[in-house]
Amino acid sequence: MPTHRRSGGWGRRSIDRRQFLKETAGTAVAVSSLGALMAACGNDGSPSRSVAAIEVASPENPVTLDLFDDNPSIDSGLEPEAGPLRIFNWSEYIWLRVVKDFEEEFGVEVEITTFQNMSEGVAKLRAGGTDFDVFFPTIDQVPKLVAAKLLQPLNLSYVPNLKANVWPDLVDPFYDQGSRYTVPYTTYTTGVAYRTDMVSEDVGSRTNPYDIFWDSQYSGKVGIYDDYREVMSMIMLRNGHTDINTGDPEILEETKQDLLSLIDDVRVKTTIDGAYSGLPEGKFAVHQAWSGDMIASPFYMPRGEDPSVLRYWTPPDGRGSVGNDLISIPRSSQNPVLAHLFLNYMLDNDVAFKNFSWNGYQPPITAMDPATLVSDGYVLETLESAIVLPQNVSRGYRQLALLPEVDARWQSIWSEFKAGA
Amino acid sequence: MKPGGMRLPRGFWRLFALPGVLWLVAFFVVPFYAIAAVAMGRLDPLFGTSAPVWNPIEWDTTILTDVLSDIAGGGIFQTVFFRTCLYVVIAVAMCLLIGYPVAYYIARHGGRLKVLLLLLVIAPFWINYLMRMLAWINVLQDDGYVNRILMFVGLLDAPRSWLDGQPSTVVLGLVYGYIPFLILPLYAALDRIDQRLIEAARDLGASSWRAFTKVTLPLSKQGILAGSVIITLPMFGDYYTPDLLSQSPRTSMFGNQIDFFIHSGTGEATGATLALVLSGFVSLLMIYYLVSVARSSREASS
Repeated sequence: MPTHRRSGGWGRRSIDRRQFLKETAGTAVAVSSLGALMAACGNDGSPSRSVAAIEVASPENPVTLDLFDDNPSIDSGLEPEAGPLRIFNWSEYIWLRVVKDFEEEFGVEVEITTFQNMSEGVAKLRAGGTDFDVFFPTIDQVPKLVAAKLLQPLNLSYVPNLKANVWPDLVDPFYDQGSRYTVPYTTYTTGVAYRTDMVSEDVGSRTNPYDIFWDSQYSGKVGIYDDYREVMSMIMLRNGHTDINTGDPEILEETKQDLLSLIDDVRVKTTIDGAYSGLPEGKFAVHQAWSGDMIASPFYMPRGEDPSVLRYWTPPDGRGSVGNDLISIPRSSQNPVLAHLFLNYMLDNDVAFKNFSWNGYQPPITAMDPATLVSDGYVLETLESAIVLPQNVSRGYRQLALLPEVDARWQSIWSEFKAGA
Repeated sequence: MKPGGMRLPRGFWRLFALPGVLWLVAFFVVPFYAIAAVAMGRLDPLFGTSAPVWNPIEWDTTILTDVLSDIAGGGIFQTVFFRTCLYVVIAVAMCLLIGYPVAYYIARHGGRLKVLLLLLVIAPFWINYLMRMLAWINVLQDDGYVNRILMFVGLLDAPRSWLDGQPSTVVLGLVYGYIPFLILPLYAALDRIDQRLIEAARDLGASSWRAFTKVTLPLSKQGILAGSVIITLPMFGDYYTPDLLSQSPRTSMFGNQIDFFIHSGTGEATGATLALVLSGFVSLLMIYYLVSVARSSREASS
């Protein structure tokens, strides 16, 4: 499964206003991660042999997730529980102040547990040791989680902010028609970030801006994400293929050659923090970037340096890679009413703005007018292109779940790249 | 049997090995078995993740055979494996070239400063490995001190890019990280050499150099071997030195591959298999070392 932009592998290097160092993966290489698997052995892994084929949702093929009799939603009109509310999220993906405000408003305690990548999160959820109340999945995991009955269907009477505040395209999204199990959290695009003091050209005015990753004049200063879906779909978009979930052998072979050529042509580096941390530090001239990383990047500029050198390019007509993250409620939640109220809280306009000011990743709130985000100081004027527009969501290209055989082929290309072979 | 002493049951003293054995079983045998269970386990049909299979009869060895044939037959794992071996061999050689004189000096000429010198060798370890490597990144930047000093001295005309996927930087990082582990056992071995043996050699007409090569060096062989083993084994599995000092696939080591597959969601079985293969390989080296020690102790006692 794809690593998420917040997955850090052995640990992210975060500086400045975010915590300095996350936990290191330490010296235990393979054995430490086996702990999660040992825990999973209690359930012996699989919940059931999947009988229903998992449909791959896409904008052309919207999917309505199944509801099950033995997994009902909660009744309406109940009183919220006393808590504590257990949130299970990516590390550093929600502002603790926002969480604290929730605690004060509802008079409950909140405990946050974090994961570094989606497979870790899903494994923990499946292991069932802790009863989380709120979980932040990615779109491709949702059908599997629903089939395994790990998420509970939402009772949207508790979440009026969804219809009131959220972009219409995401109130009834293609991956979860009717928002039966999820509400959106943030949206983002993937593009090219660069520094004007190291890149003298206007990247957007090239015939093919993605070519800059292969430009040997920036050799040694080029970075891409350590994420096979992001990188390979970027290469496909560079070569003009709009189906970034394809299993076509010719396209994959072409992608592989382009990918391998990066190693020697530009001495490419793979990072997960290169856009928001490495680029401001000057380690990179060009780096693949998520829009949210770039909006947050000015805060990582070393003191005294001018953040207006940071720029972000994404196809201006919205025809680039786009995505969004979700919030859901696990079935085993002990505080489902409170969890619903938390979802509603996160979709509140003021809360969403507040979280955005720290996070950088844009929530799909209609009140968030791209025109005012710059003038209100949320986004630097030079990074205006990092603002996600509502029309991006329908026009952009989505990274969807891959069929297992296709995924295996993608992964083998990526592992060949990672081995430097 | 001590006269008038208590008669202890047979094997009483062997019981003192029990905590160690329990520790080994709990923290080595069981996790190792878990890795094997995942490496030869099955795929969960819904999530595509690896699930361990505990019964050895049901083990599925397809991934193991795939990986082994890849290593034997020129696949990507073979490239990484050879690259790792190359880096480790060079790094250990450099550690010996640098560490042996240091250990020799401290042991034979340290005198009153011996403790202080040893302390200085160990002092970097008060800061953990990750922090020291981060410091190296800082120092090796294009505008960092290494480049500045080298340019000032005149060895470099322009700043050299140390951190963009240079194997030399990774090897230097490995040397830096592991050399104290070599110096200490080497020092212990050299310290143990009886000064009178060397004096005897000198008395019998050997020059300093010949005294060294004919007496000191052979007597320190066990120390060299012990120190080399202590650093070689973890070096093979090292993954954050290349990860920090060069985030490039060009210098990807075996440990990086394990790390990559374990975190790839669906490749956990491959990662576990790679870990098994690495353990197996490293065990061979370990067995060689143990046999050599056993043989030399037999020679010493005979």
